Amino acid sequence: MMKFLMMMIFMIPLCFMKNMFWMVQMMLMLMMFMFMNLGVKLNLFCNLSYMMSCDIMSYGLILLSIWISILMIMASENLYKMDYYVNFFLFNVIFLLIMLYLTFSTLNMFMFYLFFEGSLIPTLLLIIGWGYQPERIQAGMYLLFYTLFVSLPLLIGIFYMNNEMNCMIIYFLKFFNLNNYLLYISMILAFLVKMPMYFVHLWLPKAHVEAPVSGSMILAGIMLKLGGYGLLRLMIFLQEINMKLNYIWIVISLVGGFYISLKCFCQIDIKSLIAYSSVAHMSIVISGIMIMNYWGFIGSYILMIGHGLCSSGMFCLANISYERLHSRSLYINKGMMNFMPSMSLWWFLLMSSNMAAPPSLNLMGEISLINSLMSWSWISMLMLMLISFFSAGYSLYLYSFIQHGNYYSGIYSYYTGVSREYLMLMLHWLPLNILVLKIDYSMIWF
Amino acid sequence: MNNMKYSICFISFFFLFMMMMVNFFFMIYFIMNDMVILMEWEIMSFNSLSIVMSILLDWMSLLFMMFVFLISSVVIYYSKSYMQSELNLSRFIILVLLFVFSMMLLIISPNIISILLGWDGLGLVSYCLVIYYQNLKSYNAGMLTALSNRVGDVFILIVISWMLNYGSWNYIFYLEFMNNDWEMMMIGSMIIMAAMTKSAQIPFSSWLPAAMAAPTPVSALVHSSTLVTAGVYLLIRFNMMLLDMFFLKLLLLLSGLTMFMAGISANYEFDLKKIIALSTLSQLGLMMSILSMGLPDLAFFHLLTHAMFKALLFMCAGIIIHMMNDIQDIRFMGGISLYIPLTSLCMNISNMALCGIPFLAGFYSKDLILELVSFSNLNLMIFFLYYLSTGLTMFYSFRLMMYLMVNDFNLLSIFNLYDEDYIMLKSMFVLLFMSIISGSFLSWMIFSYPYMIYLPFNLKMMVIYVSLVGGMLGYFISNMKIYSVNKFLMTYNLSNFLCLMWFMPNLSTYGLSYYFLNLGQSLLKNIDMGWSEIYSGFGMMQVMKKYSVFYNVYQMNNFMIYLFSFIIWMFILFMMLMFNN
Repeated sequence: MMKFLMMMIFMIPLCFMKNMFWMVQMMLMLMMFMFMNLGVKLNLFCNLSYMMSCDIMSYGLILLSIWISILMIMASENLYKMDYYVNFFLFNVIFLLIMLYLTFSTLNMFMFYLFFEGSLIPTLLLIIGWGYQPERIQAGMYLLFYTLFVSLPLLIGIFYMNNEMNCMIIYFLKFFNLNNYLLYISMILAFLVKMPMYFVHLWLPKAHVEAPVSGSMILAGIMLKLGGYGLLRLMIFLQEINMKLNYIWIVISLVGGFYISLKCFCQIDIKSLIAYSSVAHMSIVISGIMIMNYWGFIGSYILMIGHGLCSSGMFCLANISYERLHSRSLYINKGMMNFMPSMSLWWFLLMSSNMAAPPSLNLMGEISLINSLMSWSWISMLMLMLISFFSAGYSLYLYSFIQHGNYYSGIYSYYTGVSREYLMLMLHWLPLNILVLKIDYSMIWF
Repeated sequence: MNNMKYSICFISFFFLFMMMMVNFFFMIYFIMNDMVILMEWEIMSFNSLSIVMSILLDWMSLLFMMFVFLISSVVIYYSKSYMQSELNLSRFIILVLLFVFSMMLLIISPNIISILLGWDGLGLVSYCLVIYYQNLKSYNAGMLTALSNRVGDVFILIVISWMLNYGSWNYIFYLEFMNNDWEMMMIGSMIIMAAMTKSAQIPFSSWLPAAMAAPTPVSALVHSSTLVTAGVYLLIRFNMMLLDMFFLKLLLLLSGLTMFMAGISANYEFDLKKIIALSTLSQLGLMMSILSMGLPDLAFFHLLTHAMFKALLFMCAGIIIHMMNDIQDIRFMGGISLYIPLTSLCMNISNMALCGIPFLAGFYSKDLILELVSFSNLNLMIFFLYYLSTGLTMFYSFRLMMYLMVNDFNLLSIFNLYDEDYIMLKSMFVLLFMSIISGSFLSWMIFSYPYMIYLPFNLKMMVIYVSLVGGMLGYFISNMKIYSVNKFLMTYNLSNFLCLMWFMPNLSTYGLSYYFLNLGQSLLKNIDMGWSEIYSGFGMMQVMKKYSVFYNVYQMNNFMIYLFSFIIWMFILFMMLMFNN
């Protein structure tokens, strides 16, 4: 585990050299390849070194982080071409990746907290550094303060646990059972805001709208999954109190997921629509985790990975349109099929994965989550049906509004897709639909 | 692309036709040896539950696949000419091939999870095909189609979670065994709902006529013979489970009403494709209703024969629309049998097969169905729905025939009707042949023993009575001139109700979207931009601002007041320290 950390740390000087944009990406790809061959096949922590380790749950999410970082660099070629603080951008991406890597691989709760919060800083810098509108300052503040406001209780909770149990190792959490509702609230609220749960999701659409493509990709791809990862890890020692209080979050998430899907129909900003759709998906993930059964856990894990790839790909697509039309409005991005028929295919594929069409990971995750929620209470069927139906609705709305019909007559110039973009989209879509063939890897944790 | 030999159409046609032959021979082999092959590939398994991709090959799936391959091959051959000047022909053909692929996956899966691969695939690909033309009408029709089908997908998703109770998703193993289970009842009703969306039964019927915005070859393949019969096929597979269910009786009523409603609406319609679409709807109602009476083999029989003549009917309609300068209104047509005899021949034969004229394809299935209906123990209403719908089929078919073949040609004075498009005609002749022989061929093939039907004379002749009356009415109504059409205004509300498919298109578009969009809008305004904002980010900022202004007043005002308050605080602190011990 240490070697990957060292590799990333020693990639930092590479970022500051001239014309090393693609080199950094290549190195990350190399690292991805090495990490893939790490061979984590156990449900226990393996590859222990110092305080880092990795089991299947963190393995998948670290892979996703490296993958999304590669694709972030790939999507931000514009910065390289315009030489818009490329070195700092690359440094930021690597720094963010280090933070995420440590968050997912650390065994210590405090270290987890530290890197969990630490990953906010590069994200914030991405948004206010490479965003487009002046409103990005406000969006950055929203991002920071929403998550910080609830993360300080998490810190106190972690110290309380240390005081009680004299132990902050994540693996040993399963031997404890703390039945304390203040601890419960302080432990999970940070993750619920990060996910984000309905009612505390306001920072997400704002951040997405203002973020550059790389910021959006990492936000949707990994940052939301941090919350899910934290919940999956920390649910275990709160079992008793979970059984009493979890239904609150399940109900909020299920109803909220339906409401959010309806709100998606009122969006006219592509990115905002995708952001709202990821809130809707995350709401099912939250309820799946809060159910506390096996199906729910694996389902939320699979859906997190699937959604990470899918929504990141959709943000890429939104950016591809934005780079050509300089607008994210649905009224201007119209009839794109006439200009980029091949890109329309990718829109359709990623959109269909977003609405959980087979054989995507999203469908697998959604099936498991529906199974888990239905085994909790079959009345949740109603909300699940509505969420699932409207997810198709807004995905098709997004697709057909952008791709179908007449194009905006004020377009001055236009260029078609380049192979970098197609490759990037393929690298989003392919794992999303191929991984389902070996999905039983995600079943062997715990 | 212009070279016939190597065009994508020809290659696809050849491939699909070969597949059809392979399936045909396998089907005969399977039916002779009474063989079933079930293959499973495990995707994942834990806690003794396994998600598998299953493939079931028996005579039924092979026969259905053979028919789908046959129709799709000729439809692709037909598209070579019909979509001749299309810029994105490859896209079109690939979409059709993807559609066929999804259909195959649907046909061969006896597993409720792996059936999703085909089921969702059908919905998505048919969406792409409906919005193939870039206009607003196809946009709306596509959305209606996709979302109506999505309702079925959602039901299947929920069925998956209900099937969790049994530990496996291979539904065929539980159909008889778990028949009286409460969970099975839920599963059964949801499967019926899913099938009703795909097969456009009454609450969900509006998408089928709307889907006629697709190119005509697509209508021939997708919206007449394959996609819409997927629901019927699913219920045929599930039939064993459904026999005692209350929901099945509801289905009988709804499908009977669908049949009746579509028959009436077809008589009010002037759009050539929509008439055929409504007749498809009516036939789907027939299949569904006979299925819900517990006769799945008859439903399957009618499904197959109907696929043949309906695909042919659509292909004839396509050729006519092509020649009529893209005009679909039947009031412009008339007397075309004088100009295009071969197409008219196909049109008439398929129409007659649809009506059930003896010894054409439709006769064998429809007559058998109606006789078994008279034979079985039904209430009067269902009985009348069946026979009225049969009469109505005759009614709109004759009306269509008269409008197209007999009356005067009403288009412009310059027109070019030609019957020499042999690519289209050749592909139509394949289906023409099939829509003549497939009824007898299938009845000999799939029924291991003949049905024994014993009816009184008048009941036996009932089909002929209603057909004759329907045909006569069709003849009369086609002679109605424009001023008589205006007489419908006397019963304006009734006509409106009947010709708008009992207001279903309105109800399922504006009727639903209005409430949900309004709800979404008000939620966005009140929660996302309202309460949530006030009680978090924005509200917090306001509070902070207010208090910092408030403290600023203290600090910025008189320096003496500031110092004085400081001294007071110091005094209090001092007092506290003093009296504390």
